[in-house]
Amino acid sequence: MTAPANTVVRTGRDGDDLLVAVRDLKKHFPIREGALQKVVGHIKAVDGVSFDIRRGETVGLVGESGCGKTTLGRVVSGLTEPTDGGVYFGLGGEERRKLDTLLEVQSPDRTDEQSEALSALDANHRVDVMVGDAFDHYRRNCQVVFQESFASLNPRQLIKDIVGRPLRVHREASGSDLTERVVELLEQVGLGRQHLFRYPHQFSGGQRQRISIARALALDPELVILDEPTSALDVSVQAQILNLLHELQQERNLAYLFITHDLSVVRHMADRIVVMYVGKVAEAGPTQTIFERPEHPYTDALLASSPDMKESAQDLQALEGAIPDPALPPQGCRFHTRCPVATPACGWEVDDIVRWLEDEEGMFDELRDVERKSPFEAALSFRSEDAANRLAAALRSDAVPDAMRSAIEDLNTTGTDTRIRFTAVDEVQLTLRSEDHVAACVLNRGTSTEPS
Amino acid sequence: MSLIDGIGPEAAPRARPAVASVKDLRVHFRSKVGVVHAVDGVSFDIGDGETLGLVGETGCGKSVTARSFLDLVPMPPGIKAGGAIEFRPHHTCPSCDGAGCETCDDSGRQAEPCDSCNGGGCEGCGHTGQRTIDLLEISEKDLQTIRGNRIAMIFQDPGKALNPALPIGEQVAEVFFQHRADDLLADAGASDGTEALGGALIQRKAGLKTSRIEDFLLSLPPLRGQRTKLMAAVQTRVAEALAETQIPNPRKVMDRYPHELSGGMRQRVMIAQAIACDPDLLIADEPTTALDVTVQARILELIRDLQQRHRTSVLYISHDLSLVKEVCDRVAVMYAGRIVESAATSSIFTDPHHPYTQGLLAAIPSANHERGRLVAIPGNVPELIDPPAACRFAGRCPYEAPACTAHDPLATTITANHEVACFIHHAPAGDEERPTWDRKVR
Repeated sequence: MTAPANTVVRTGRDGDDLLVAVRDLKKHFPIREGALQKVVGHIKAVDGVSFDIRRGETVGLVGESGCGKTTLGRVVSGLTEPTDGGVYFGLGGEERRKLDTLLEVQSPDRTDEQSEALSALDANHRVDVMVGDAFDHYRRNCQVVFQESFASLNPRQLIKDIVGRPLRVHREASGSDLTERVVELLEQVGLGRQHLFRYPHQFSGGQRQRISIARALALDPELVILDEPTSALDVSVQAQILNLLHELQQERNLAYLFITHDLSVVRHMADRIVVMYVGKVAEAGPTQTIFERPEHPYTDALLASSPDMKESAQDLQALEGAIPDPALPPQGCRFHTRCPVATPACGWEVDDIVRWLEDEEGMFDELRDVERKSPFEAALSFRSEDAANRLAAALRSDAVPDAMRSAIEDLNTTGTDTRIRFTAVDEVQLTLRSEDHVAACVLNRGTSTEPS
Repeated sequence: MSLIDGIGPEAAPRARPAVASVKDLRVHFRSKVGVVHAVDGVSFDIGDGETLGLVGETGCGKSVTARSFLDLVPMPPGIKAGGAIEFRPHHTCPSCDGAGCETCDDSGRQAEPCDSCNGGGCEGCGHTGQRTIDLLEISEKDLQTIRGNRIAMIFQDPGKALNPALPIGEQVAEVFFQHRADDLLADAGASDGTEALGGALIQRKAGLKTSRIEDFLLSLPPLRGQRTKLMAAVQTRVAEALAETQIPNPRKVMDRYPHELSGGMRQRVMIAQAIACDPDLLIADEPTTALDVTVQARILELIRDLQQRHRTSVLYISHDLSLVKEVCDRVAVMYAGRIVESAATSSIFTDPHHPYTQGLLAAIPSANHERGRLVAIPGNVPELIDPPAACRFAGRCPYEAPACTAHDPLATTITANHEVACFIHHAPAGDEERPTWDRKVR
């Protein structure tokens, strides 16, 4: 599969303030089955994602649960090793340009010289291969605040030890000096000396989240990954935490990767937004652009189904269907199975027919076998001729979406078999819509420049 | 006596009495350090066919209030410390079959007449002439005929509320066996019970009361036919109930186990279970909190649609103000075991009168707020152990005055259908200084 360079969310400005560069990142989890635990497939949690995080900015990562946003956060924070691609930390502007040129060449085509240059860059900047001082530097400068503050604080440790741990590990402080540093940190997040000798269970949810933030800030990092930091909190406490995060960002020029499913929070906090859908970026761009001129129908759907996004009390726009299985992501555009404006070019495939049969009374039980030549071409054999004819009739009628019907190139029924061929399409790539704004949709709303 | 009587017929004359009225409900919990006043004098009415939203932060007592309806609060440590929950059971109007006609005031539902006065109006039914049951007083056996039948509940996490060891179909069927045994027997054509042994057994089977030996007897040839008919009747009803919640291919879903379904589908099954007996009151306790925004939108749409078609009254509990705005006719805001404000949804959101409600609304992040300038309510929710007779919001309130810590504000009607418990709007008992909007303390 190709990894075109234009999938990168490019910065409008010069790239010298770059902090993290994520390039074609993939994380696949094996599915094991049977007594021998044979690998039968892969959950493609993150499947080719590229974006940048600049110093002092907040990047919001939004999507439904299961779209891979938490996995992406874990890979960026180095807690999970990527399957392919890389997270590059602390690249200078010059190095970034060099890296992008090198990555444009596919690995088999690289000259020895290019491979060497790339591995030199990797050793110093790629999170999963870097060692020694470079890794130490990265660890200090990238911290995480987790969603479940109760699960991420050791219940058997005192607050003093929890917040002081990073300082101790990195040999920054010890003894009474350490205690003073911890007090300083606690005061920054609105707690105080009186909380030093308490256990996590003695605090409320909001206070525990403050402790998590204090711990993350202990080593004065450049990047903090916030994985749903306020979703377990009440709205009034959430407001306190969001204000605190903003204050700290102003003081310390922190960069945030803000992972959330709450659009009103992300609109409030983020400078740029990356919308993920089934392991891929659906749309990315500046917050205002995403909210005012979304280019991807999935972004539309997210905005429409969020009740606080609307001023008037019009009906919620609900999205049909369920999020597809990330082990077998749909062809073409991954959103075409639920898309209200899908076109014939969106990647209609045999699986769409199988899914349709599942929901149809009595049809799925009639299906005996599906013989695939490709994702777009297959022969479905049924137990009875009647069922085969019913399917063929349905595919020619209004029972299926218009776009799906138009995408059928060939359809013929012989006896109990139905042969179907759809127009084969490639995966939809991100295209530039306006400055710093990319979307992966075959449609172009014409509100901005032509795709590059 | 009651604090929020005014919402009821007295304040705004309503043709029909409320389907349920909570009067000065107090539920306390015994703990090591003292008695926690989790719900402390809550009163509200749920009108017939109305959706009432109960909002508040974690620990304000909204779930305990809802669970008290069906005696789901564990006792001990819970204590019923007082009050009453009056419930007036209804049934579908026989003359129009729910479509709405003259006899039922176009509501499609009719209240059952009071036992002692037969509709005339007496002391026992609060002069409404309708059968009135105090849910806190009746026996467990009587409550079982109401629970799941006249009042149903949808829980927050469908993954936990459904039995993981039973297929979906069996779980939904339980509702019918429990409350609609007679209908099932009629469907199966076994209602007359002519055969002495077989009739009795099949009736017991329909009520899920058979022992193992009886089950064995039913599986033998002479009775097997009847059992099969009964099971087929149940299956049909279950499939209908599931189809009602727009579950595709319900007959297939019936054989699945909860873990095979997505969160949204599980919540649909819960809703199917809840509305199976066409209840008068549906209690939805944060039904969409565990779901994604896109799924949430569909579930809300479904609840709203079902409510309109069945004309069920809904008590909708949520911590999310923006959701409540979408679904509710009227909203009651709870804080620390009390209702601080209640009004029609539009007036709560456009014209909040209580400082706490104002704080909650201001804390929702929106495009209008500059970053870092969200108005957070300072401090934490107070401990509810033996609270003093004072405003519960004093200490966090920006307008606090001496009167707030000396007296307990009672809910008072400000404008028609708008109630607030705050001294800014009404005078305290003593002559202490009152809070005003002009003076901001914090």
